[in-house]
Amino acid sequence: MTYDYHEPETVAEALDLMARHGEDAHLVAGATAFTLLWRQGLLRPGHVIGLRRIVGLGGITATDKELVIGATATHREIERSADVARHCPALTRTFASVATVRIRNQATLGGNLAHADPAQDPPPMLMALGAEVVAASAAGERTIALDDLFVDVFTTSLRSDEVLTAIRVPALAPGTHATYLKFLPQTADDYATVSVAATMRFTDDGEVADVRVALGACGPTPVRARSVEDALAGAVPDAARIADAAARVDADIAPFDDVRGSAGYKRDMARVWTERALLSLVEGRA
Amino acid sequence: MRADRRLIDALRDDLGCIGTKEGCSIGVCGACSVLVDGKLLSACLMPAVFVSGRAVTTVEGLARGDELSPLQDAFIREGGFQCGICTPGQLIAATALLAERRRPSDDEIREWMMGNLCRCTGYHGITRAIKAAMA
Amino acid sequence: MKLSHTALVRAPRSRVWKLVTDVPAAARCVPGVAAVTPSGTGKYKGSLLVQLGPVRLVLDGDVALTATDEAAGKASVRADAKDSRLGGTVRATMDLALVDKGEDTELRITSDVRIAGRIGEFGQPVIQRKADQLMTQFAECLARTLA
Repeated sequence: MTYDYHEPETVAEALDLMARHGEDAHLVAGATAFTLLWRQGLLRPGHVIGLRRIVGLGGITATDKELVIGATATHREIERSADVARHCPALTRTFASVATVRIRNQATLGGNLAHADPAQDPPPMLMALGAEVVAASAAGERTIALDDLFVDVFTTSLRSDEVLTAIRVPALAPGTHATYLKFLPQTADDYATVSVAATMRFTDDGEVADVRVALGACGPTPVRARSVEDALAGAVPDAARIADAAARVDADIAPFDDVRGSAGYKRDMARVWTERALLSLVEGRA
Repeated sequence: MRADRRLIDALRDDLGCIGTKEGCSIGVCGACSVLVDGKLLSACLMPAVFVSGRAVTTVEGLARGDELSPLQDAFIREGGFQCGICTPGQLIAATALLAERRRPSDDEIREWMMGNLCRCTGYHGITRAIKAAMA
Repeated sequence: MKLSHTALVRAPRSRVWKLVTDVPAAARCVPGVAAVTPSGTGKYKGSLLVQLGPVRLVLDGDVALTATDEAAGKASVRADAKDSRLGGTVRATMDLALVDKGEDTELRITSDVRIAGRIGEFGQPVIQRKADQLMTQFAECLARTLA
């Protein structure tokens, strides 16, 4: 059994093919996840639509207002982009820490987001940076905040007639610190047991002016830790306050047992690694 | 070619280039490492149709005639392999590393080669060989 | 894989009993079930679509009511289904117990699910989550139907 492979050269052509083949079509960019699911026999589409030849979906551009990453930009292109490094070094480090260089050379950011595996690295960091995705359909374009993109394991709020075309990351307010930490008890290229992304900005008086925290591998989707954020907003982030805020992550996550840790262990580790991430931002502001 | 053929299938079964090995089949072990237009990739994850019109380098392409590449020579001199099953992937990954960074540090070598597993655990020999090839 | 689910249905036990032992009617409350048709006494054929992101399972098979004891409020259901496109089988035995809770009824479902073939590639955490979602929606639908 095989499928027909299509390589449209424009988004309009891709949308056309999707309309023609409906549920029998599957989109791929780098095709890493697809190849695995196909080999496992979990996907049997009649038509596969490859997006990699669509020129407008690639590349990375930066303006004063935002960083725009094309959906078919590979993890490695993003890791090596000077624009990304200028925008946010923690974003560069996040991409550099994904799996191995082989995977980063093939897997794309658009594919990563559309695949919606809750243990992936870029989603929590992009959530903490307030990113949004652009989705195109025959009806036009719309943007979806990353906070609203992930619905369930492997499930996004993208409609079946939409193509994810780009990821937009707004410019960070001056003085914003960012970090991405992941707990890897087994190997460096593994998926994390838990991962934590955080951004923080301080007032001149040393209070928290702005904070965003997001976690991966702690439930069916990557998730914002709003209880942690609320506990820190306006506070002087001393060690006790951070420990208290980090403990509140329990209310924001819904982990389930997987091969990288039981739900209970993930809850413990989410608290520990949230505290570490927040402390590193406070200690790093000097 | 069938659309669902992977690069590893095309190399080994269709072209008879059996130097590239298939290990885990899920992009983790590195045995099937190849270069596509100089980029290091897992041939087990790459649809063969994706390399149409691009240059694929496998372990068979590292030597020039009878002359081994400096890395191949160093792997032999430094004992960079034991059973040998992971060696084609190790050589290809190391070739990509030295093409990108002329003089990687020990940490950079370890980080780059982290994705190529050696079940004989001959990692010291592999690292030694890469450093010898840089000299 | 053993799963257990409990749900409170805001209706008296006799009405809940009538609905859950009417297989075609109860099946209408399972999201993704296509027409269930009788194939013998207490036996039915049916089809269940389970979607997980891009992965679609179409489970075709037989459902049988294997035991009923209205006085005790207990029933057993056996389901055998396969997905012919992806390749894989699901075999489930479900023990249902209805317990009076004042004017309401607690529905307890204990399932033993055996999964073979490709469907098993999902891994237990994902399958368990999906089963939890189905059961929650099933119980909510029963409650709505009886309201």
